[in-house]
Amino acid sequence: MTGHLRSWPIVLALSVASAPLVLMYVYLFVDTVTNAPPGSFVPNEFTLEHWSFLWHTPRGRPSIWRVTLNSLLFATSTAALVVVISSMAGYVLSRLNVPARGFFLAGVMVLHAFPAITLIVAIFLVLQVVGLYNTLIGVILVKAAIDMPLGIWLMKGFYDTVPWEIEMAGIQDGASRFTVWRKLVLPQVKPGIFALALFAFLLGWGEFILPQVLAPGGDVQVLSVYLASLIADDNNFDMALFKSVGLFYMAPVLILFFFFQGHLMNIYGGGTKG
Amino acid sequence: MTASRDIARDGPAPVTARAVSARGLASWLNSSKGLGLVLLAPAMVLVVLFFLVPVVVTGLIAFTNMSTATGITGGAYQVSPSALRVLTDQHGMGALAERLGQPTYTVDEQGLATLEEMGIEPGIVAGLRERHLGETYSSRREFERAIRALPERPATRTVKRISAAFSRSLANERFASAGALIAAAEAVEPDLDAAEKQALVEATYTGWTWTSENFRRLATSRDTERVFFNTLFFVATTLVLFNTGYAMVLAIATHYIPERAAGIFRIIWFLPRISPVVIYVLLWKWLAWDTGFLSALLSNFGVRPRNWMLDSATNAWVFVILINGFVGASMGMVIFASAIKAIPQSLFHAAAVDGAYRWQQIRHIILPHLKWPILFVTCYQTLSLLTSIDQTLLSTDGGPGGATEIWSLWIYHTALNNYAGNLQYGYGAAMALVLVVIGITLSLLYLRLFNYNALIIKPRIEH
Repeated sequence: MTGHLRSWPIVLALSVASAPLVLMYVYLFVDTVTNAPPGSFVPNEFTLEHWSFLWHTPRGRPSIWRVTLNSLLFATSTAALVVVISSMAGYVLSRLNVPARGFFLAGVMVLHAFPAITLIVAIFLVLQVVGLYNTLIGVILVKAAIDMPLGIWLMKGFYDTVPWEIEMAGIQDGASRFTVWRKLVLPQVKPGIFALALFAFLLGWGEFILPQVLAPGGDVQVLSVYLASLIADDNNFDMALFKSVGLFYMAPVLILFFFFQGHLMNIYGGGTKG
Repeated sequence: MTASRDIARDGPAPVTARAVSARGLASWLNSSKGLGLVLLAPAMVLVVLFFLVPVVVTGLIAFTNMSTATGITGGAYQVSPSALRVLTDQHGMGALAERLGQPTYTVDEQGLATLEEMGIEPGIVAGLRERHLGETYSSRREFERAIRALPERPATRTVKRISAAFSRSLANERFASAGALIAAAEAVEPDLDAAEKQALVEATYTGWTWTSENFRRLATSRDTERVFFNTLFFVATTLVLFNTGYAMVLAIATHYIPERAAGIFRIIWFLPRISPVVIYVLLWKWLAWDTGFLSALLSNFGVRPRNWMLDSATNAWVFVILINGFVGASMGMVIFASAIKAIPQSLFHAAAVDGAYRWQQIRHIILPHLKWPILFVTCYQTLSLLTSIDQTLLSTDGGPGGATEIWSLWIYHTALNNYAGNLQYGYGAAMALVLVVIGITLSLLYLRLFNYNALIIKPRIEH
């Protein structure tokens, strides 16, 4: 289609524009395993000293493993909640004849567009009153609620692609609507459920402001809050340490993205916020 | 639809039979309506708890003076020095405040009982009861003189202990209810009138109260104006330059290069979005820090090293917009790229045959096809930029000197985290309410704009 037009000038221009980003991410790797003389960015020695945070816990901070476990709990629980609730509600909106279905559908769209972060002051106070402030459960529920509208919307989209004939056949054979959903339709949307779970996990893993506000305590700190407090501490400025913790934190994201790029790009393109 | 009619005609037999045999819950669950409501229930619970309740709570708290000082759940009544000052300054009851602030000495049975417990000689106690019961002294000296005049002539140390036992002061006393406060105040000051009681209760209450002061403050504060224009500038600039503008450049540019190279560039520009925000901003800090990459690079050209992110308001804005824009560009990129892919190839071939230059193709083929995607991205990103907080909080934190303070960050600094330590929930909620109202309005508007009716497919199984 573009036969007589050369593409190398565009590639060159894009490369120049992308250079800062590439530089930043390359140095994220490089700086964690090397040292460079002051004022220079050419490394002159290989070292693992920046990774000592893995076996040596700095005074006054929770252990990195504790924090990682919290992050894992937080991200998997929110993902599980989002997937279960969305695959139920999404089916209703896609297939079932409930009263005010149009209203529910519109509601999901509005909730999806609505910036829930504006409610954080109220949520903060509500959690304090009901005693869920500074607990993982509290912040998991909030995060799941905020991600849920997107989940329902995506699941509805996946269910919409399942042929009606499958359900009709099931009902004619005498199965209940519940059984039809559980045994016949759910297996059809497995890839969608997997993609949503992955996506919700990554959203939870990267989340910063909710745990920062709702669960900042040492026992329930997640990796993002831990890293942010490490960076905010003016007394111990050590960029190589920050980057090592950062890379440790980001590794699961990179691995998942590397393997499941296609799934994720689709969802990101399908209208997430940010 | 035909299939559904077939089902409706031929299908109901087994279903109806089941519905009749099974009773109650089971049959209700088997209906589309029953199962639908059950499956929707968990989602509804979360919506009510974390969307509806917080919206209402935001609206209510915006009309209170709730803060760290007042507490959240309610307060007590405390005759603190500041409460007495309020009584003097705002209610003009200086004399009352002074009397309440001073200890008085009343000889009562309670004090006498305390003396007995303390092991004071019974003779002294009896003497006090006989001669002074019910008397009130407004100064310690006067009371102690009376004690010394007792026939038993207590030693000086005993006198002090006795007077301390009868000292009645409201200063810094906390009362759980207004009734307890008034009762205690009347013990000291027997003839309080209604207005004085009312003023006392109001002045000493430590909990939050209803007020519209937050909105008056928001409307008249100079900060409001500054933060408002900061936000407007931030949203408009980032949106135009990156979320739509640069995203379009990326989508079109990657359209004109080989698929392999295009894929690599898309992944590179996707990194900011998939990276956890804390790391992403950390990388920018590394670039901009005074010992960071930019400073080191430019020092070769004789530029003084500095913290480029925070050294001036202009630089801070450049970084805030770059940091947010690089994240925002990827969404537009993906959406525009898939819209371009959907354009029939024949259009491009025809244009190529006609010898059209690239910019003519872009102008006449691509851009017209991007109208709706652009509108969609603009709408979506307006709201998300308006309420975005992470990137700016982690990079400049509103600095230097509040130059990059945007509305959402202002809420955070007012109600959730500040150096002074007094978090003003009420004022913060009033600020948040502004965004909540904008958010609801815009989301409803988008619903109209992107005609959701087109998305509803009628269920084809009707029971």
